[in-house]
Amino acid sequence: MRHAKLSFLFIIGGLFLAAALMIAHAAEDSFARLRKNAAEIKTIRAAFIQTKSMKILAKPLISEGLFFFAAPDSFRWEYKKPLRSVVINHRGETKRYIFSSGKMVEDQSGGVQAMKIVLGEITSWMSGKFDQNPSFQAALKDKGEIKEIIMTPTAKNMEGMIEKIVITLSSKDKAVRTVNIIESASAQTRIDFKNTLINKPLPESIFQDVE
Amino acid sequence: MKLAPLIILFLFVAGCQTLPVIKEPLPSEKTSLACPFPFLHKPATLIHAIEARMAGSAKSAVIGITSANPATRELSCAIMTAEGMVLFEAKESAGTLYVSRALPPFDAPAFAQNMINDIKLIFFSPEGNLQKAGFLPTGDAVCRWRSQNAAIIDVREDGNDKVEILRYSSCGKLKRQIKFSNLANNYYQNIELHARELANYSLLMNLIEVQSLPATNKNRTGKK
Repeated sequence: MRHAKLSFLFIIGGLFLAAALMIAHAAEDSFARLRKNAAEIKTIRAAFIQTKSMKILAKPLISEGLFFFAAPDSFRWEYKKPLRSVVINHRGETKRYIFSSGKMVEDQSGGVQAMKIVLGEITSWMSGKFDQNPSFQAALKDKGEIKEIIMTPTAKNMEGMIEKIVITLSSKDKAVRTVNIIESASAQTRIDFKNTLINKPLPESIFQDVE
Repeated sequence: MKLAPLIILFLFVAGCQTLPVIKEPLPSEKTSLACPFPFLHKPATLIHAIEARMAGSAKSAVIGITSANPATRELSCAIMTAEGMVLFEAKESAGTLYVSRALPPFDAPAFAQNMINDIKLIFFSPEGNLQKAGFLPTGDAVCRWRSQNAAIIDVREDGNDKVEILRYSSCGKLKRQIKFSNLANNYYQNIELHARELANYSLLMNLIEVQSLPATNKNRTGKK
């Protein structure tokens, strides 16, 4: 089940990576085309706002952070607030850090090994293989001003955790707008991306230094 | 062989500890002595960043959500990661516990009830009988309750607005210590919970947000 917990994180990261591929290729709507052009993405940098809705919350909980990716498999998923945390994957090593006593320290809850298990899943998304991932069934819809990818889990380990994932991107400017993870009728996690930069140089230190 | 029961009795007694002595207030002090009250006044939802520590070092951090009604003593709670993944969700209503989600490491059989008990200890005034009210040798004001399950709960306050809740077992062994810093005139801004179990642990809770429940928009929650 820890696998499932960390899968959630990687789903968010992986979906954004996959969705970002469409920025340059939104006019080409087929999944096959996405796969073909995936190799052109070398780096991604984006800010995000996460809106968590739950029955227990009178109003959604807002989180903010930054996302970085460098091909082939380096990424940094960083939450700035309200709870500072960073997950970094670089050169085959995955680490998670939390903010404690004025500095970032490594999370010792033991989830790092499980992260490695799901890296295969991420790599699949990074390669634009929406329709080839056995864990999800993907569908692409053109809804006028936006395009929508709907991913429905087929894997047992997602049962009761995720109903579906909806990615939207603008037809006009080709930018990814949102990733919406719908857990149930009363719970969802929506991530709005902004200031996305593709193929701009990223220093390697982003994937090495946690501070 | 006859020594065995005595040894067992000795070990049992040796495991017990003496509770802090409470000095009765003088007649002139009685009027000024009020039991410290760091508890919720009205329903509210509180969101905390929670850092879990063992052996003095940080182990992990999560977001904790508590929605509590002190009048009915009903509460709901959830634990989630920074990424928004809900790891645990439960509610207690009319004394019955309902767990709707429990992923590892929050799936241990006793975890849900222990967590609900800790939340009630923090946010709800003690149930049971008020046994004593007075002062500790340090001068701190203190009130002592004995709950229905024979646990003993002390709520004490020093002269500087620092409030602590201490829960002892029936034989006086300290099991929980909760410290409220009362920053920004709000007890729930910073809360420390220290648990004495087989493996001791601490939870450091920093308030992210308070959400008033719809029917009570003018909550004071834990504000003084």
